[in-house]
Amino acid sequence: MSVLRPLDKLPGLNTATILLVGTEDAPLQQLADSMLKEDCTAELKVHLARSLPLPCSVNRPRIDLIVFVVNLHSKHSLQSVEESLCHLDAAFFLGKVVFLATGAGRDGHCSIHRNTVVKLAHTYRSPLLFCDLEIEDFRAAMAQRLVRLLQICAGHVPGVSALNLLSLLRGSENPSLEDL
Amino acid sequence: METQSEEQAVTKPEDSGGEGGPPQVAGAEAARPEDRMTLLLRLRAQTKQQLLEYKSMVDAHEKKTPEQIMQEKQIEAKIEELENEVEEAKMAFEMKKLALDRMQLSTALKKHLEKVDIKTSVLVNNMKQILNLNKLIMKSQQETWDLEEKLLDVRKKRLQLKQASERKLSEIQTEKNKQKDDLDSMENSDKIKTIQQKLETEIQITTVIQHVFQNLILGSKVNWAEDPALKETVLQLEKNLTMI
Repeated sequence: MSVLRPLDKLPGLNTATILLVGTEDAPLQQLADSMLKEDCTAELKVHLARSLPLPCSVNRPRIDLIVFVVNLHSKHSLQSVEESLCHLDAAFFLGKVVFLATGAGRDGHCSIHRNTVVKLAHTYRSPLLFCDLEIEDFRAAMAQRLVRLLQICAGHVPGVSALNLLSLLRGSENPSLEDL
Repeated sequence: METQSEEQAVTKPEDSGGEGGPPQVAGAEAARPEDRMTLLLRLRAQTKQQLLEYKSMVDAHEKKTPEQIMQEKQIEAKIEELENEVEEAKMAFEMKKLALDRMQLSTALKKHLEKVDIKTSVLVNNMKQILNLNKLIMKSQQETWDLEEKLLDVRKKRLQLKQASERKLSEIQTEKNKQKDDLDSMENSDKIKTIQQKLETEIQITTVIQHVFQNLILGSKVNWAEDPALKETVLQLEKNLTMI
């Protein structure tokens, strides 16, 4: 199972699974804890990984949303994310992948330019979110947002699908891309 | 490849039982004030949505995707085209939904109006109130429009008056300038000069005559202060003619 496919397993009843991919463990763990604290009508499962591909030995449920966490302070995280992207089936990019850029607050430490991640997100047609995962309030707000996204991607919200959401999120991004 | 990545799973079920896996309906009741019917309905909606997603994926895979290798720019253009198609489909759907809702609303309204007694219905009263208000609004708007027209006319007149006064003032200015020019030219003309010269010579002659008479009277050693007529004559001769 070297390539992750979005719909190759049946969904668990009342379950939603999110996969957080990022090179640093601490912010991912904190984000996972914030997400689990959130109010959600379904059962939340959070998986953490440093990079794809995931080991096949583990029996895991169907993954509904993948969040790639890129730390703007380290080029290594961007590289690792780009390498992991090759192991995803193309069907995932129909709304089930989100890029999260952290560390934009401390501009002096940023070694990756903001436009790089914007271009990356644009190439893969996925939404890009910015959040400073170190600050607790922002983390909690982002966790809430991710839980809502996850609910939609898992199909728990009738009438809205992941693709629908993708085109909704795209509308606000396009004006800035024209400056690139 | 498997050793490179690690994976951790962190789960939290919504019930207090602490187990994952199949849904715990009884446990869900304990943790949340959600009764069985609501839960079942919610799960039904969920399952429907998930089924819809799977069906749409199956339908999408039945279509053949073009396998030819295209340039990146062409791929981007194609992707944008497809995205636009999705947007348009969504918009068309929303429009149809709106139209449908509107039709449903209007039939429901019609049926309601048919059932209800026209005189006392709150809805009809509201509608009448709305019509009255609309009439009032239109009247006020008309009045506003008329007043604005009047204002505009007054302003136009003011502007015209201003322009007229401006013209008059400029005419006055030109007239004054012309007068000044005439005066200047007159002062410089030769006629004036000759007249001035003649005047000067006359003044000089008269002054000389005055002095002669003065000297005559003084030379004759007459006491002119005693005789009033002589006094008057002498004093008159003292008048400096150039000051006239």
